[in-house]
Amino acid sequence: MSQAVENTAPAVAAAVRPSSALTRSLIGGLVTSLPVLAIGLAILNFAPTYYTYLALGAFVNLIVVVGLQVFMGNSNIANLGHSAFVGLGAYGVAILSTPLAMKKLSIPNAPFGFATLQLDPVSSALIALIVVGIIAAVSGKVISRLSGVAATIVSLALLIIVHSVFLNWTDLFKGNQAFFGIPKVVGLPWMLVFSVVVIVLARLFKDSRWGLQLRASAQSPQAAAALGIDAKKLRLMSWVLSALICGLAGVLYAYFAGTISPKLFYFQMIFNTLAMLILGGMATVTGAVTGVIMLSIGLEFIRSIESGVTIGSIQLPQLLGLSGVALGVVIVLCMAFRPSGISGRYELDELLSRFLRRNAK
Amino acid sequence: MDYALQQLLNALAFGAEYSLVALGLAVVFSIMGLVNFAHGEIIGVSAYSVFLAAALGLTSPFVAVLLAVAAAALAAVAFERVAFRPVRYAPTTTGLLTAFGVSIVVQNLFMLLISPKPQSVSILNGLNQMWFFGPFAVSSLQVMELIVSGLTILALVLFLNRSTLGLAIRAASRDFATVRLMGIRANRVIATAFAISGALAGIAAVFIIARRGSVSPDLGFGLVLKAFVACVIGGFGSLAGAAAGGMLLGFIEVGLLVALPQEYGGFKDALTYVIIVALLVYRPEGLLGQRVELGDKEI
Repeated sequence: MSQAVENTAPAVAAAVRPSSALTRSLIGGLVTSLPVLAIGLAILNFAPTYYTYLALGAFVNLIVVVGLQVFMGNSNIANLGHSAFVGLGAYGVAILSTPLAMKKLSIPNAPFGFATLQLDPVSSALIALIVVGIIAAVSGKVISRLSGVAATIVSLALLIIVHSVFLNWTDLFKGNQAFFGIPKVVGLPWMLVFSVVVIVLARLFKDSRWGLQLRASAQSPQAAAALGIDAKKLRLMSWVLSALICGLAGVLYAYFAGTISPKLFYFQMIFNTLAMLILGGMATVTGAVTGVIMLSIGLEFIRSIESGVTIGSIQLPQLLGLSGVALGVVIVLCMAFRPSGISGRYELDELLSRFLRRNAK
Repeated sequence: MDYALQQLLNALAFGAEYSLVALGLAVVFSIMGLVNFAHGEIIGVSAYSVFLAAALGLTSPFVAVLLAVAAAALAAVAFERVAFRPVRYAPTTTGLLTAFGVSIVVQNLFMLLISPKPQSVSILNGLNQMWFFGPFAVSSLQVMELIVSGLTILALVLFLNRSTLGLAIRAASRDFATVRLMGIRANRVIATAFAISGALAGIAAVFIIARRGSVSPDLGFGLVLKAFVACVIGGFGSLAGAAAGGMLLGFIEVGLLVALPQEYGGFKDALTYVIIVALLVYRPEGLLGQRVELGDKEI
């Protein structure tokens, strides 16, 4: 990973100059996604299948965390309901693209003719994302009107509403049981492509005038309002974009795992992704990427201890809950000692160009 | 008639429990702006101390009740000292996320140190009996819940209005700096607020244990989510709003239970939240909250 960064550093130095802000933020986004690309390619070429599977899960988390950053990082309002959109995306494609033979087994009584409907994966994904967008626009209307704390609580309420619908509308969502038979059409290469796209998108939004205005209104609502910034509209915009990215993560998850169930998209996912974003630093897209890389590796290590390890001749018992404790401790310590996370205020490309400039002097 | 009365009592009892927990959240929020997601784990600590004491041979329900309340108050003060003091002057989001982290840690510690499975506690089961008033059969637990919650809220109101420390707490919720200039220690005011909040959670814990007869790691979490919602409908930070919001939530829930056909019963929670979100569209500041313009100093 570090080698990849070093190799590209001169190219960055040359490219950081262009005058257009758009180009600069586009290149910035690409630089930020380089570590992800490097790790992805390394896994694609060298890692055994088991690790590829783990990596796919980590990439889904990455997309979720970047989506979370789009709302939380810019509006500075805690969102605890984003996994609802991940779930909606995943169930959307599950209902639309699962082969009919499988549907006869899993949801034979689905309403609105879904039981006899089978679309190709791409149009299913598009329709699922449109549905996510509509639900996000409606919920965002409410959330963008509320003050910070109330907005957070309503985002939680949204999560509970969606989860409870998944559980109880058994004809359509199959309830508590796993929904299986979704076509497995996404592998690591597609996952990488989408990760890069999403990272660049998040960066473009952050640097756009809307992103800038939203960040300004989060820092000082009065000053921003005095400048004529419509914070509600901007919050709604970032909420919908964030939901769409999370929905995309859900779509990709369904297409690589082939099996989904409601509990995947509940508090556990919220805990994981929130801790990742906080550890990395929610103000920047780089922070989101850093947090995912570090915690994915860390959590995998802790999970191997959690399931019981043998050191020498001593067999340690199962330690269920250890990874949860670690996640919580990461959040609490970060908040107490470094609320801006590891990466702080600067994006990777900004850090690199500062570093290069200092060396050039 | 019997059925209607029974459902009314149900709604009042649920509402009383939500009010107790919501008040605990509001007391802390109004003073230091902390959205205490770890409130549910205070209930958890209280419930698990009763479980451990019973496992170690405690048999008196009376002592168990005292223990539950004391453990909750202590836990609340300890959480503040360890986790919330470093973020006292930080923005609301920082405090909220810290509390969320504490909640995850404590929940998983219960899982790690005791068991992920529910553990049975029968020591308080005696509180849950059937009482007969003439032709009516009512659950003793619900009646007690209502009476105890009413008395607790009365005691809280008296404390806040009649004692110096209570006055300091009320003043601190408006302007902490001035309270400190009057020579009152910030730490004392905040510790008292947390102790009150914890004691309220402890009382709620007693009723939860008596009703469920078991403890589990996530026992307080769901309840606190509902209490938050109660706070939001009442107007965040307003004590009267929290109590009223809790009652309203109890009535909405029981109303839905009665109105929904059996096979749609599972949608109760979803519909409750939908109704509440719809209420917030019309009154974003909550039912009893006031519209505060940016920069207003006096609330």
